[in-house]
Amino acid sequence: MAPRDVPARGGPQRARRSSRLRLSETQLGLFFMLPFIVTAAAFMVWPVVEAIRMAFFAYNPLRPDDVRFVGLRNFEIILDDPLFWESFRQALVWTGWSILLQTAFGVGLALLLHVPLPGIAAFRGLLLFPYIVPTVVIALNWRWIFNSEIGVVNHLLLRAGLIERNVAWLSTPEMAMASAILLNVWKYTPFVVICVLARLQTIPTELYDAAKVDGAGTLRRFLDITLPMLKEVLVVVVVFRTIWTFNKFEEIYLLTRGGPGTTTFNLAVYAFEQGMANLRLGVAAATGVVMIALLLAGSVVYVRVSGFGAEERPA
Amino acid sequence: MTEATRLSVPRRALLAGAAATTLAAPAIAQGAPRVARVWGEPGPYGGVFVQGMNEWAQRNNAKIRFEVEQIPWDGVTVKLTTDLAARRPPALISVESPIAYQLAAEGLLEPVDDVCRAINAESRLVDGFTLASFGAWKGTQFAVPLHHQACLLVVQQDIIDELGLGNPAQWTWDRFADAAKTIAERKPGLAGYTMALGRNLCADYHITQLIWQAGGMTWDPSANFRAVFNSDATVEAFDFIRRLFSYMPRSAIEFSFLQVVDQHVTGRTGMSAYWGRTMGRAAEEAKPIFERMEYYLNPAHPRTGMRWSWTDINGWIIPRRDNPFIHETKEAVAYVANSVEWMVRYSQSLMPNVGPVFKDVATAPQMLAHPFYQSKKRSLDVIFVDSVPHQCNTGYELKKGINPLAGIAHGRNVWAQAVQRMLLNNETPRQAADWGQRQFEAIRADNARLLAG
Repeated sequence: MAPRDVPARGGPQRARRSSRLRLSETQLGLFFMLPFIVTAAAFMVWPVVEAIRMAFFAYNPLRPDDVRFVGLRNFEIILDDPLFWESFRQALVWTGWSILLQTAFGVGLALLLHVPLPGIAAFRGLLLFPYIVPTVVIALNWRWIFNSEIGVVNHLLLRAGLIERNVAWLSTPEMAMASAILLNVWKYTPFVVICVLARLQTIPTELYDAAKVDGAGTLRRFLDITLPMLKEVLVVVVVFRTIWTFNKFEEIYLLTRGGPGTTTFNLAVYAFEQGMANLRLGVAAATGVVMIALLLAGSVVYVRVSGFGAEERPA
Repeated sequence: MTEATRLSVPRRALLAGAAATTLAAPAIAQGAPRVARVWGEPGPYGGVFVQGMNEWAQRNNAKIRFEVEQIPWDGVTVKLTTDLAARRPPALISVESPIAYQLAAEGLLEPVDDVCRAINAESRLVDGFTLASFGAWKGTQFAVPLHHQACLLVVQQDIIDELGLGNPAQWTWDRFADAAKTIAERKPGLAGYTMALGRNLCADYHITQLIWQAGGMTWDPSANFRAVFNSDATVEAFDFIRRLFSYMPRSAIEFSFLQVVDQHVTGRTGMSAYWGRTMGRAAEEAKPIFERMEYYLNPAHPRTGMRWSWTDINGWIIPRRDNPFIHETKEAVAYVANSVEWMVRYSQSLMPNVGPVFKDVATAPQMLAHPFYQSKKRSLDVIFVDSVPHQCNTGYELKKGINPLAGIAHGRNVWAQAVQRMLLNNETPRQAADWGQRQFEAIRADNARLLAG
């Protein structure tokens, strides 16, 4: 042992160095999160802040040196624009039907895939196919499939004698919206299936056994055990799917370009048209800000009403 | 060589090579040719022109390489907007003249009077074109003539003859509509006529040529570009479109460029409105359709006698801001445009889509040696020559003055939207024209600064 007044070789230096490098658990956690924080700040937070800032300016991208503060003028423009309100109504139809059908089909398919059958894993894998194919590929394929003149859907329906003349799938307002919703449901139902299936697999089988002993039938077991157990995951899935669907641009734009007329415009397509076709980036940004506000308010109300996380809060 | 030496030597060499490359990187980068991006329309012709530009670069040791990027017709505005906003424009762009007029008025383009002088453009132009029609604003030239394409009446001659519909060259609107009706009624599964009616650029073009034929316009350059869209002529043209729609495929309401060509080349329509590409596609994919296909001038309006055609009067424009290649680009464009051989190759790269705009090119023996001149000479003469007196576009309506607002209105497809309101929302032609009038007047008000220059 070295004398007290004679420091061991390198001892204090090493101690100082190690104290400099020693991080608390919080600091270490922050350190590991740093890449995510920087990335999120650069690609999520900054664009949102910039969009909010731009909503108060007039900015024509062809005249980047002429940016003027206009206060609330951009918001006045969109609120006075009948197309904004039409797009808003259509966005509600598009989102509402998409979410309803995705949830219904998603829960149904998850229940089917939860049945322990030989080869069921292969079906679970195949179900992911629509979700992993790029949207642009799907939309362009659907344009061909639903082409009223040379599309395979009309061809098959005619051959089967189910229709007498070609159906204009993308050329009438009602059918175009229905086709767009169908695409959205087909592509994103697998997301609901994955989430619900994961939750189903964690429900204790004893609950079902006990219910059977008590004489509960299939429907009763679904309503009293499965559905309450799925509630939490469904709340999360519906909130996320609502936000993503309400914001969706590429599916509608690639499939119908918002047409025929403006009958499949939603607010994302409206914002794009304002920014790119009308060269009013400030108005487009204002539309985005309104969308953020609507989604934020809607999500808070929905989560409150659904009672999500209530059981975790102290009484 | 043993395994050990094979592994050790490359490792050392690799390390040495990596170090040398790192040290030499700046020098290598300096010696490498700089890349100048050129935007062309979809099709091989932009690539052919760029090959010629690269020949100039090689011969002059310019240490520059031109690379073509294909931009879809209806994607030019969006791409241009984003690239200009990002201050990263291409060195050179092939555009239809309404966009050239708009960008010139915005002050975004480099004047090219010097290039036009260097290639004697004015004296070489095919009769019927003026330099200004390709892209000018307030007396300054901003576009170098490149090619022209007229939107015409494309017919399957065998059907016309079989049904005894007469000579399409002598049709007026009524005879034409009757012919479409007869085809639709007597040829089940076949549309009488097909035009684009979707919310897109193609529909804008198809609609406006009918308005001009009836004597209408969108803005009046002689009255400070006041919107004059809701005239009786527009209402008459809309009414005629509604009449024709009865003989079109129902899905024409969503058709754009590609769908119109598809419809014709797959034998699903007796007649259509299109540029030269329908003939080219048929030659490549559907020989029987090609053999019976003929092009005619658009049917004449019964009162005005006009046969106006929406003509793509296409030129090269050079972005002025943030473009480090202006000098080299001008030299290279002049080099290719002065070469009859390169310009013939350009026109022949997608026959008969890109009509020659210079007389020496149009009459060059190599040009006339193309096989289409043997099999389809009458139609080719209509496309390349006879259509020229009837050429018109939305930026130079009825040749009454250059108008920079059309590019903006095309970005919003206002003409197509107005017609869709009539066909989808059951508005009357007058109501739809009045709606369009409000949109066009709003565009003028929003861009007063542009008009003032």
